[in-house]
Amino acid sequence: MSKALICPCEDVTVEDVRHALSRGYCDVESVKRYTGFGTGICQGKSCQAAVAALLSKEAPLKPQGIQPFTPRPPLFPTELSLFASTPVDETRAPVGGVPEELGTFPPALRPAAPVPQKAKVVIIGGGVMGLALAYNLSLRGETDVVVLERGYLCAGASGRNGGGVRMQWGTSVNIEMAKRSIDLMKQFARDLGINVWLRQGGYLFLAKSEAVARRLERNADLHNKHGVPTRIITADAAREIVPGLTMKGVVTASFNPEDGVIFPWPFLWGYAQHCLKKGIKVETFTNVTGFDISGGLVRKVKTDRGDIACDTVVLAAGAWSPEIAKLADVKLPNEPHRHEILSTEPLKPFLGPLVSVLDSGLYFSQSMRGEIVGGMGDPKEPAGLNMGSTLRFVARFSRALIEQLPQVGHVKVLRQWAGCYDVTPDNNPVLGRTPQLENLLQMSGFVGHGFMMAPAVAERMAAWMTTGEHDELFHRFNLRRFTTGRLEREDMIIG
Amino acid sequence: MRRIPDASPRGQAITVDLEGEPLPAVEGEPLACSLVAAGEDVLARSIKYHRPRGAFCFAAACSHCLMRVDGLPNIYTCRTPARAGMKLERQNAFPSAKVDLFGTIDWFFPRGLDHHEMFAGVPVAEKVMAKVARQLAGLGLLPTHEAPPRLPARSLRTRVAVVGGGAAGLAAAKVLAERGIPFLLLEREARVGGRLTRGAPLQDDPTVLDVASFPKGSVLTRAHAIGLYDDEGGRFLGAVALEPEGLRLLQIHADRFLLAPGGHPGLLPFENNDLPGVYAGRAASLLVREHGVAPETAALVGWGSELHALARLMEAHGTKVVAVADLRGPLPANAHSTASTGSDPKAHGLKRVGAFSFTRANGKKKKVDCDAVLVSIPSSPSFELARQGGASVHFDAERGLFVVQAEADGRTAASDVFVAGDITGGGTAKEAAAAGARTAEALIGGLS
Repeated sequence: MSKALICPCEDVTVEDVRHALSRGYCDVESVKRYTGFGTGICQGKSCQAAVAALLSKEAPLKPQGIQPFTPRPPLFPTELSLFASTPVDETRAPVGGVPEELGTFPPALRPAAPVPQKAKVVIIGGGVMGLALAYNLSLRGETDVVVLERGYLCAGASGRNGGGVRMQWGTSVNIEMAKRSIDLMKQFARDLGINVWLRQGGYLFLAKSEAVARRLERNADLHNKHGVPTRIITADAAREIVPGLTMKGVVTASFNPEDGVIFPWPFLWGYAQHCLKKGIKVETFTNVTGFDISGGLVRKVKTDRGDIACDTVVLAAGAWSPEIAKLADVKLPNEPHRHEILSTEPLKPFLGPLVSVLDSGLYFSQSMRGEIVGGMGDPKEPAGLNMGSTLRFVARFSRALIEQLPQVGHVKVLRQWAGCYDVTPDNNPVLGRTPQLENLLQMSGFVGHGFMMAPAVAERMAAWMTTGEHDELFHRFNLRRFTTGRLEREDMIIG
Repeated sequence: MRRIPDASPRGQAITVDLEGEPLPAVEGEPLACSLVAAGEDVLARSIKYHRPRGAFCFAAACSHCLMRVDGLPNIYTCRTPARAGMKLERQNAFPSAKVDLFGTIDWFFPRGLDHHEMFAGVPVAEKVMAKVARQLAGLGLLPTHEAPPRLPARSLRTRVAVVGGGAAGLAAAKVLAERGIPFLLLEREARVGGRLTRGAPLQDDPTVLDVASFPKGSVLTRAHAIGLYDDEGGRFLGAVALEPEGLRLLQIHADRFLLAPGGHPGLLPFENNDLPGVYAGRAASLLVREHGVAPETAALVGWGSELHALARLMEAHGTKVVAVADLRGPLPANAHSTASTGSDPKAHGLKRVGAFSFTRANGKKKKVDCDAVLVSIPSSPSFELARQGGASVHFDAERGLFVVQAEADGRTAASDVFVAGDITGGGTAKEAAAAGARTAEALIGGLS
């Protein structure tokens, strides 16, 4: 059948690129994500200039707005076992990262038109939190909403996570929220007309110390009480679920077959497209520069495209939230922490669940596209907004992964990237009203698991905002708790 | 493609195993070369539509030639030297790449397949689709065996790291050598020379510099740069080198990075541009010059001086050039007799190229039978390393290329990153060599 391929690695045609344009995705990063061009084995070497040439002719972009997508290392598919041969000094903190890509959205991508002069609700942050909230507000009839996003959709952590969704948490509130989120994810395609490829292959947690093993056991009991079918399983049972898994040093394992992985990006597109249809403005490439505050209320949100007078402001900017809060003289206890992640060459399905070693934070799963996607937190990672990639991470991750699954030593890494966790002192979010600034609502601090919580949190937040009815969530996780309240710590954090 | 009958032997004749059948090869040549020379055009099926694919770029810049080699998936056969007894298998096809039942997907979705919206929210269909998609996804099966222990990674330090041993990189290295500046030049191929040894020759091409005149140990061939990283010791180049004992990862710290990696073969989006038998122009020149392999009849399409130089090269080696479609024009004075300006190129054939058509400037369609279509457009700058190092990249809409922004002397927005040659947007090899020398001079001036 005759086709004109523009990205042969991923079978993307010229028509596919035009389709993305018709949906409003015009910048190279967005077209890459929507069509999948440049995500294959060659990582854009042969196709990117051809796509850019097409965009320069057919997309409403200024010439300076055509920038290549971030070139990720490695530039040639490189085996995990080779990366594992790199020495790492675990006593030192990671330094640097390439490329430095913060604040690099070219001004040429900023829309020329001014933003609306007023809106009832301004949501700062066009990640999954902000967009899910806007969507839920629209379901409740509130469409006088503006969502502000500093980059393209998917530019922040919502577009950079590994897509894991699980009910295995350490506190009742998180278990219940995750359960509700996964239910909503199951019907997402029906509600919003876009596939999110939820695959419930389960989460297999491994514990390598007695203390962590006790934690898994204790949490499994709690899960069962909430109707989550987590079970503590033997090493042999774990190997049956993941053939080839080495269980050396593993004390115990827990498995919930109903956890799974999703493809994160369509959530943002689905929510955003719905919002646009309902008249909600989603303003990408737009920066918040300050606030007009008087009488204990935010009166206006200032942006680099004009000011917006508003009744309510929601801060849902993930790891950027403390920076934005500072513009309103509000101090958040959140700290951004870089977490790196990588993706390998696509392979035929061989790995059912997402596997995680809770002690080290190692996690890996197989995406719907067949890639092994995984990461591992670095205990030495300093706080700070940094989304650069390091050789140190690939080396540490490769070693840990091969130790757990020796058969992947020859598997080649295609690209690595990073995103920022939005870390709070008790690993729980910051939600609800801001003391002394009543109409500034907080919706951040999800410590790397905001994506999977967003559908449920946004549903409750929209109900709380529009009805004014009491919801304990927004008191339990209020900012006040860090000065006056008791902290209830979540202990199932990975990555 | 075939081996040119009177070409001098290029090495020892050996046999490799293609799915149980013996396949003649020449030791050390790229496996993809052995395959196409033996008439094996279909090497794989594509990831989504299961379209037949054959080797295209011979430069590790596409995915057409990936095969399972000795139990490992997705191996670039264009970069893997043939050794006797190697086992090659085609991937992503059932029951075989030649007769792939999943090839019907291509016909079911003549206008493409929107995986975002297809069956979205349709109760039973969406579940079935998810299951089918999971099974069809991915390329290649998990490796059959564990990786051997690797050579320990090596950390090196030099004054100047030069990436690329083409016209620009070699000219730069010559200046560095003459001035006594320690440097390390990385070349991913077995031999330096770049387009001077593998491209279509132009009249004013400089000669390939003899690396024997460089200080011992300053040139590393078969070494692939994988990234410009940084750590507490500053910026370093990550590279994977093929040493006699095996692959080794290198971390090369340097005071300056002189990037002359050239460009990737560009892609021209025309109908059936992925059909086996469509080759990048520089793949065709590489095959004919280095390996004595060429098509019997070829149609050429593209623009620029290399297009017409390629027509001359192919004809000189016995290929019958049946059409040269210049999509930009004007035609040079010494253009091939079949050359004309035109538009709307299209490759024809079911599993391999059988013909090529285009619309001539006078509006008349021209269709010619051929067994290869050679696409020669200016190469697409390999800006990736420079961009990782902090250099600016901009899109040159006129030429349709991303180019690294640099001063005439190779300076970029990053103080320790210099660039020369095709990475800045092309030109002839002579111009690249001049830029390499100029850049080396500028770089030395800033070294304390």
